[in-house]
Amino acid sequence: MKKYFYTHIIDTSTLSLELGSMELDPKERTHLISLIDSNIHHAVLDIVLSELNPTDKKTFLAHLISEDHDKVWKFLKEKVENIEEKIKKTAEDLKKELHKDIKEVQAKS
Amino acid sequence: MTQSHYKHLRDRWRVRHEDLQRKLWTKHKESLDWLSGNYRQLVAGSLGGLMLLTGHNSNPTISFPQASASEPAMQRIDKKVFLISDLAKALPTEVKVLTNEEEQKVSDILSRTFGFKIVAELEGKRLNRSYGLIGAEQHLARYPGDTLSTHFDSEEERKSYWQSGMAPGLGAWRYFAPSKEALTQLDKDREKYYIAVQTFLSKDFNSRVSEYRDFYKYRKMLIVNPNNGKAIVVEIADAGPGEWTGKHLGGSPEVMHYLERVDGSLKGPVLYFFIDDPDDKIKLGPINESSS
Repeated sequence: MKKYFYTHIIDTSTLSLELGSMELDPKERTHLISLIDSNIHHAVLDIVLSELNPTDKKTFLAHLISEDHDKVWKFLKEKVENIEEKIKKTAEDLKKELHKDIKEVQAKS
Repeated sequence: MTQSHYKHLRDRWRVRHEDLQRKLWTKHKESLDWLSGNYRQLVAGSLGGLMLLTGHNSNPTISFPQASASEPAMQRIDKKVFLISDLAKALPTEVKVLTNEEEQKVSDILSRTFGFKIVAELEGKRLNRSYGLIGAEQHLARYPGDTLSTHFDSEEERKSYWQSGMAPGLGAWRYFAPSKEALTQLDKDREKYYIAVQTFLSKDFNSRVSEYRDFYKYRKMLIVNPNNGKAIVVEIADAGPGEWTGKHLGGSPEVMHYLERVDGSLKGPVLYFFIDDPDDKIKLGPINESSS
């Protein structure tokens, strides 16, 4: 899995474990995990960009594509109060929704 | 049961994914457009950073969101960025013969992006490579007596393409039509959107010449410039270039112009894959990403 600047503060293992307990073949499981990652990634980008002004958005994106995670964090901490907490909350909210999806799908069978 | 769980979750999470992408691009369009337009400078030629923007994952079955009709620019940039970013992840850093695994990934990406089957091997036949440096070819005579003065349908075409000149010889399949009167729109398109590939380097070519000749004759292929996402449907109408040229295929003047590829020291790579089109439904010429 690719590492993003927020990877260390978002734990998706509960979702992976839940998928692991389902009857899925490895390819299907990998695909679903990649969808989880991608969903979280877009949600995180949205919350971060929503906290920044137009100029800072560009600076953030430039740091982001340089893949210098330290630079990204330094910048975000200077610009946005409690950014870690905001990212964590966004991810947690989305994870809850994804867990709910899994439960509903299991209940159907 | 397994398939059912997987399909339900996949479909739900795809919808979420599409919603999140649409929301992201709608809310932050200006910044993301700015990034799309400047990524080359920002990452000094590397496309790797775009993966961070797209949150790309390599599974070929993921679909991307359709932008609304009122946002054509967003849709175009969005899909193009995804194609460029997907290919950047699948391709090696240097221009070389792709491994089977790399070819499969590219095949999946292109088939998903354009909405039809695109493969490196068709009917058990494959070219010597599917990723290589493209050089510029000249116009081909379409019928006996076709010259630069008769070759173009409009003044605009003439101005754009006359300087490429006419090839001194005929294409691999000789004339496209027996006479000017017999020339059809398909013949015109075949010449306009033709490529030359190294058919002679196909495996066992020398022992299966007639079989390969029949297979390659006007065989439809998709050419993609992985650096800008531009794609065009072409047909094979000539053999070449020679191995000594350092080039791996050639494109007609119109193909080169559309792909924004040039010959010489600035020549660049393209992907060239067969289109599985048994009913001949895919039209020749530039093609955009599928809307589905």
